[in-house]
Amino acid sequence: MSVGTAPDRVKYLFIWPAFLVVLTVSLFPLIYALIVSFQAVRLVPPVPPRFVGLDNYAQVLGSGRFWGAMWTTTIIVFVSVALQYVIGFTLALVLHHNVPGAALYRVSFLLPMFLAPVGVALIARMIFHPVLGPVNALITGLGFPTVTFLTDPALAISVLILVEVWQWTPFVVLLMLAGLQGLPAEVFEAARVDNIPVLRRFRDITFPMLLPLSTAVVFIRLIEGYKVVDTAFVLTGGGPGTATETLTLYAYYEGFRKFNIGMTSALSFVFLVVVTIAGTLYLVAAQRLARRYR
Amino acid sequence: MKKYLLAIVPLLMSGTAYAACSPDYTGVTLKVSTQNGPAIASALQAAGKLWEEKTCGKVEVVEFPFGDLYTKFLTAMSQQTGDFDVIGFVPAWVPDFAPFLSTMPAEIQQGADWEDIHPVYRERLMSWNGEIKSATMDGDMHMLNYRADLFEDAKNKEEFKAKYGYDLAAPKTWKEYLDAAEFFTGAHGAKFGTAEAYKRGGQQFWYFFSHAASYTNNPNYAGSMFFDPETMDAQINNPGWLRALEEYKKALDFNPPGSLNNGSGDVRPLYAGGTVAMNLDWADSGVLGATEGSIKGNVRTAVLPGSTEIWNAKAKAWDKFDTPVASPFLAFGGWQLGVPADGKNQAAAWDFVALTISPAVSGKAIVTANSGVNPYRLSHYSNLENWSSIFTKEEAESYLGAQRASLDSPNVALDLRLPGFNSYTDVLEVELSKALAGEVEPQAALDTIAAEWNKLTDEFGRDSQLAAYRASMGLPALK
Repeated sequence: MSVGTAPDRVKYLFIWPAFLVVLTVSLFPLIYALIVSFQAVRLVPPVPPRFVGLDNYAQVLGSGRFWGAMWTTTIIVFVSVALQYVIGFTLALVLHHNVPGAALYRVSFLLPMFLAPVGVALIARMIFHPVLGPVNALITGLGFPTVTFLTDPALAISVLILVEVWQWTPFVVLLMLAGLQGLPAEVFEAARVDNIPVLRRFRDITFPMLLPLSTAVVFIRLIEGYKVVDTAFVLTGGGPGTATETLTLYAYYEGFRKFNIGMTSALSFVFLVVVTIAGTLYLVAAQRLARRYR
Repeated sequence: MKKYLLAIVPLLMSGTAYAACSPDYTGVTLKVSTQNGPAIASALQAAGKLWEEKTCGKVEVVEFPFGDLYTKFLTAMSQQTGDFDVIGFVPAWVPDFAPFLSTMPAEIQQGADWEDIHPVYRERLMSWNGEIKSATMDGDMHMLNYRADLFEDAKNKEEFKAKYGYDLAAPKTWKEYLDAAEFFTGAHGAKFGTAEAYKRGGQQFWYFFSHAASYTNNPNYAGSMFFDPETMDAQINNPGWLRALEEYKKALDFNPPGSLNNGSGDVRPLYAGGTVAMNLDWADSGVLGATEGSIKGNVRTAVLPGSTEIWNAKAKAWDKFDTPVASPFLAFGGWQLGVPADGKNQAAAWDFVALTISPAVSGKAIVTANSGVNPYRLSHYSNLENWSSIFTKEEAESYLGAQRASLDSPNVALDLRLPGFNSYTDVLEVELSKALAGEVEPQAALDTIAAEWNKLTDEFGRDSQLAAYRASMGLPALK
């Protein structure tokens, strides 16, 4: 027995270097941020770190601005990801069936994804500009009054959703198309021989077979969606008022304008909890749906 | 003989080269840093080339996005990394930067070139706690721009007088400003009356400050615009600020639709393109209108409107004046150059600064397209010839006259300069945006800002903040 345990212990020594690298690279920043979140730390004007317990968390959770940002972000994320999935999957199905000019469509559909979000937001800002933008030029040209897309709270959120959908639907198209191309052709061949209608084929074969991929795609988009900051910053700056302020934009203002590092760290951890809860709820719902198709 | 000559020629040549390096900074490379160009950075690059020719040193201009400047400079200086020899920054950061900046050498603070800098910049914005810590390289203030073709039109004048009972001219009060804005909205040659910035993050608060200066910068209680200079209690919710906010919001009715999302960058083309009859802006609108816009020849500039009533924060009552008191607001205050105390080439750095702000070099920069440099020397305002490539004679007189008159105004209002400037303005922007969007009432928004400002002051240290505020307002320290 004793002969066998000595080499067993030695093997752990070989794991330590890798463990230390992981600890330093990924865990240390998180642990450091967690410690800072319990302190009052300001870079400007420099205030010496002071332990304040849960004060930063209480300040974040007691702030109306935080809850407003949370609500705004959740609306933008859930509506835009739902639209991205539906439109993206539809486009992928169309492209999968080799419509004429499919190669051209494939490239042009993917283009928005390659643009920097800041650039996309700038383009959108010009398009929806009340005086200089083409959308309002068309609207007023038709005799209707100018629509203030970016200064009406509901419209401004709609524009943000539209921009998110325009930019990130190609990501869904790309992955769903890859998934469609990986499905076994024999199953569809058999369904065609059995004369199963197209819609039923989709409902009973395509959709269930792509459900694991769909779950992953939507999950990635949900997590990414919660990080939306540049689009909101350029398009509206979080306004009018705080109507389009997202969680990350709120954290940006706290961290990089006020340099309130303690509170920003607390905000980051609350943000982490929010994303984890949203992700977990989504995965539970996805699992239930998957069970229905088993 | 020939041998002697051959020997003398290289000596003479080396002597000439030596004389060209004056002072000789051969082997010295200055790292000069500021915001991404072309504005300001291109002016520093142009000055850098001249300095290299003069001293045989090298200048490397390092540019960063504006949003990163503050953190990069403060981190580098506080950690004494010696990363930068010269930094280009804004006056609002002086309170945070001052402990890490070297003082301007005495020899630069004398002579005709020194006296040529307008006293407001020289004695107030460049000075911190009695020491010259920075050098103005760009003059900045808010002004009123208007179109001569509309304001001098006989029919417009007649109709305006019939409607409002006084002559149409550059507004002297904010009431007159709102009247003119209303008059030109949708009629009389313009689509809209005026353009101001209202976007959060679009420099909106400086526009609000420009309105507020007229009602709160009381000459009878100096330095009381933002805080009580004796207690450091926030003044932003007093009746003067409330009136300013109500008028700033009222002006939205005469701005183009969607102006809540307009930043200062949007305000300029609206004026230069002829969409609006007036705007409030820095000097940029005038230059854009005269060079690239559709209103060439009609650019006119005036001192910001004033008021016959100014709130007295001590007496807690309105002080009344017989004629409108102009309180031109030095929004932003212009870019400044500083030499970090941890720099290894401080003498060379100050020599570069002296050359950059010299009358000859700066006189060229102010009329160079996209340099971002605006007048700040007395000679800049008097030399009309210099401006002939941009403006007509009338435009130049109006443009320079308004800037000089703003600076010469006995009640000129300085911008807020306080440690934690961004924390104060962030709170302000959020609540201001809510009030402008109609989410909260103006008084409620101002009360929230005042409460948050007082909280920040306590957090940062009331005594130290009070001392810094008094210094920024040119007031002596309290005993």
